[in-house]
Amino acid sequence: MDIFDKFSTLKSRSDIVKKLGVDPFGVKFDKITHATRGMIGNREIVLAGTNNYLGLTFDPDCMDASIEAIKKHGTGTTGSRIANGSYEEHIDLENALAKHTGMKSAIIFSTGFQTNLTAIATLAGPDDVLFIDADSHACIVDGARLSAASTIRFRHNSPENLDKRLSRQGEIENGIALVVIEGLYSMFGDKAPIKDFVKVCKKHGAYLFVDEAHSYGIYGSTGCGLAEEEGVLDQVDFISGTFSKSLASIGGFCLSKHEGFEITRKAMRAYMFTASPTPSNVASARAALEKIKSRPELRENLIARAEQIHKGLSDLGFELCADPSPIIAVRRPNEVIAATEWNWLMENGVYVNLAVPPGTPQSSSLLRISLSAAHTKEDIHIILGKFAQMQEKSDALIAKAMEVIAAQ
Amino acid sequence: MSTPTNEEIFAKICELLIPYNPKNKIITMQSGIVTDLEVDSTAVFDLIMGIEDFYDISIPMELVSDIKTIGELVSAVKRLISEG
Repeated sequence: MDIFDKFSTLKSRSDIVKKLGVDPFGVKFDKITHATRGMIGNREIVLAGTNNYLGLTFDPDCMDASIEAIKKHGTGTTGSRIANGSYEEHIDLENALAKHTGMKSAIIFSTGFQTNLTAIATLAGPDDVLFIDADSHACIVDGARLSAASTIRFRHNSPENLDKRLSRQGEIENGIALVVIEGLYSMFGDKAPIKDFVKVCKKHGAYLFVDEAHSYGIYGSTGCGLAEEEGVLDQVDFISGTFSKSLASIGGFCLSKHEGFEITRKAMRAYMFTASPTPSNVASARAALEKIKSRPELRENLIARAEQIHKGLSDLGFELCADPSPIIAVRRPNEVIAATEWNWLMENGVYVNLAVPPGTPQSSSLLRISLSAAHTKEDIHIILGKFAQMQEKSDALIAKAMEVIAAQ
Repeated sequence: MSTPTNEEIFAKICELLIPYNPKNKIITMQSGIVTDLEVDSTAVFDLIMGIEDFYDISIPMELVSDIKTIGELVSAVKRLISEG
């Protein structure tokens, strides 16, 4: 028995995809030249799969803030905040995030995944019951698995189904119910009806945790996310998010309207025993937060581009998984066809994401586009043009995919 | 609802499994859900949700991880219905 035998099915799938050309899960860019452009050798690629929603990775103020922070504090923090202390920038960013959202407590983390993983695992104790959306991100599922709480999944984006499950659960002896949803779902780009979830949670006295990783900085009148857009930000108990999308850095945050949240800093193991975010990451995230507050036109452009590409792809006859949002998921018949098409797009200068089961809802195979405020109308024309050409070559691409499958 | 028999639960599960069993593999009480029927991990949870809705029960996620065969699923469903 080999230690890697358990990965044999995954390996066969991976080998098929590799036979189609470049490995979609191992792309190497030689240089990123702009929020929407990368180079592979001498070829310029239009980036349409980066989660760089506000296009701030090359913003001069964010870059300067990062460089200054390195000069001031060095490249790394080399330890956790509990054991090795905080930098003033950590605390300043926490205060700024709390102030922006009107929350009472804020804790930042080294990655977004780690944020949900440890916050959920810690907030839900052994006598509590977690209710998570059926299409939850892996970090929520893993947080639930790591927690000592019993976990029940409810139908995706269905407050009615949650209501039914909370009713079925009845009173929880010595414990609470914690409901976890996302604002904008990362694969299909569909939005949660947060206002309705708030109502159901109130009815049952459940706490509500909303992951706004893909919606913070993008929705709401001041960019606080979808809970703000729906007018219920002050009624959500916990908001989590990431620095790696609209904030163009890496790290994560969890905010709460409860002052009591502060104590969990001394209980969340992935906070206590991980090196804190680097000075440069925190500084650029802080600078990006100022852009979210001062440049609403970034959000406006992003939404306009989302509508443009959604209409363009619909007109071409592609099946899209949700209404317009910065995430546009194009449903394909199976993963081999999707991977063949992904390769064709890449060869022809457009980078999107290939998303396949089990990482996708309904076992879907997707060409996933994520847009940026830095995309121009012309960029969208280029992307749409390539999708149209790809569609014209559909028969040849499907034949190629079938050949690879048949050779297995 | 009166507690259904093992056979009735098995028949219902077979029916709910149809969309996840495109190769029409033969289902028995001994069939491994992932190993024999090749239902992927996401689809297992979708299947579970269908069962939960039909019988008006909740099958906690930590319980699902311990269920490997159709027979174990039938037993878990029956127990949860009777605890109802």
